[in-house]
Amino acid sequence: MAVFMDLNVSFSPEKSRMKSLIEAAAHLGFSTVAINYVFEPTAKKKPEIPTPTPIRELIDHLPVVQGRSRPIRVLNRLTVVMSDSSHFAACMLHDVDIICISVTEKLPFFFKRAPVNGAVDRGVAFEVSYSAAIRDSTRRRYTIANAVSLMESCKGKNVILSSAAEKPLELRGPYDITNLGLLFGLSEADAKEAVSSTCRSVVLHAESRKSASGIIYTMKSCSEPSSQQGAPAACSEDTPAAKRARPHLTCD
Amino acid sequence: MFAGLERTPRTLLVCERSSFLDDKNRLSAQVEQLHFNYKVSMLLPDCSSAPSHLEAVFNSINSFYLIRKLPIHELLDIPFLETAVHQGRVSGLSYGTRIDEDNCVALMPNGHLTLSLDKDSFELLGVEGKPSRFNQRTNNRFVSVDLTDSAMAPGGRGYQRLVKGLRSRLQLKTDFLLSRHPGGGASLQALLSRYDWSEHRPEIRSHTLQDLSCPLLTSDLQSCDPHRLLEWLGAVDAHVSCENVSNSFLSSLVCPEPQSRTSGALSVSVCGLLRPQDVQRLIQQARAYLEQPQVEPWVSLTVHGFVDSPVSWGDEEHGVLKGGELFYSLLLFQDHTYQLHLATGAHDTCPP
Repeated sequence: MAVFMDLNVSFSPEKSRMKSLIEAAAHLGFSTVAINYVFEPTAKKKPEIPTPTPIRELIDHLPVVQGRSRPIRVLNRLTVVMSDSSHFAACMLHDVDIICISVTEKLPFFFKRAPVNGAVDRGVAFEVSYSAAIRDSTRRRYTIANAVSLMESCKGKNVILSSAAEKPLELRGPYDITNLGLLFGLSEADAKEAVSSTCRSVVLHAESRKSASGIIYTMKSCSEPSSQQGAPAACSEDTPAAKRARPHLTCD
Repeated sequence: MFAGLERTPRTLLVCERSSFLDDKNRLSAQVEQLHFNYKVSMLLPDCSSAPSHLEAVFNSINSFYLIRKLPIHELLDIPFLETAVHQGRVSGLSYGTRIDEDNCVALMPNGHLTLSLDKDSFELLGVEGKPSRFNQRTNNRFVSVDLTDSAMAPGGRGYQRLVKGLRSRLQLKTDFLLSRHPGGGASLQALLSRYDWSEHRPEIRSHTLQDLSCPLLTSDLQSCDPHRLLEWLGAVDAHVSCENVSNSFLSSLVCPEPQSRTSGALSVSVCGLLRPQDVQRLIQQARAYLEQPQVEPWVSLTVHGFVDSPVSWGDEEHGVLKGGELFYSLLLFQDHTYQLHLATGAHDTCPP
């Protein structure tokens, strides 16, 4: 049991469009969305990675998810486009969370079991986007064909389904996407997981990459000076406390 | 690989036929087991306005309370336990929580507290629970505690552990719908005064349908296929046209054959948090209505449970795969016989 998430909502500079996208996702029942910033490295000039806009600037009041009493959670996500398909095998070794399956063309290669299993073991998820299938009938065929061949190699595990929506009308409700997963060859339970628990694993996997094996992490502590007292802040985050040698442990 | 596309998610339909005059009929037991009823809708063919005694029953259904952000450990508060829970004077359900996404809570009138928790919440709470029968892969847990049991007596170790878990470790807070049983008003006041609450009356909607085609129903079970009958009843309740006109593509549902046309029928529904006792009274009024001579010798009454309730009939676990339907439909006839259809969805056990 996990909340429904849509981990691919395309970013656009128009604030009104982003606002209506987030409101549509909350209305449909998604509790978390991730705004996708795409970065395509070109060899010509120095690549500039897009910085995410703070959520407060996009939408001032987060809408409440329909049927629940919490507001929607908005995350940011960066997608790097690998233009060369021979990079696909390299992707299996890189430190990423999601590998997106292209829908704009029939993939020239087939997914081999070994690198797919290696990626699944590391907790990497494969993503299939469905909004291209809504826009275009040719892309619908490619989406289904690519998704079916992916499911054959990964056996339906570690797959997420997301929208890549650019307009609010391209979003679909979570139970509809579960049905779409059946078309891609997933079982009913797998298809429901693809919208909920696998997405949750991906988000946790991303959080754990900032930490040491998901166990230890560092956090910036507050350092606001208290103006009333005039004394310096009690916590200092610059230098860690120094260790003192324990005298009885020194060897003689 | 695409063989799975031909199968729809599993649904269960149990059909039963019996008579009120038969001593062994289990209808009251079956009605009593569904503690949380969301909606009762009745269809009275050949009736233009609601009979007065039926309307009186609708208006006498108790109101219910909605408490915002109730910490669940308050339900284990000792004064509340002794005055309300142990006496069976209160029952309630968490509101605004979805069974397949959030943690859900239900308090039954027999003193059972049921929690449906996800993996992290269950591990935080630290109380014994069973793995969920339907969501095994996502490691859900179904915790059912009998608050009237001696092991859960206030002051005992089991009680302390649960209260400590809900108070400090898990801190579960949800909106809560609370229904008041007779005699339980005063015991709730102390609890309500501490939180933001509002009282709600059940919503009654009534609709007269002109020129309705009804199936010819007799008390013989073979008269109408149950699936088609339930489909037609649902269409009437949802105001979907069953004419199947050639130039309309909105609905191709039809009334089952053989059919007859009635001049007018009354569809009336009441929504809220309804108790099984309210449903029993409505059934009695429907039987009283049928005792008068009628053109169409039947009345239908459909009771829907809550989709997001953690329990279905009795204390059985309820879940949602794609649709969490949980309802039963009663077809009453003039000769005191009835047909009962109990339906559940994929993540449910068999109805009683």
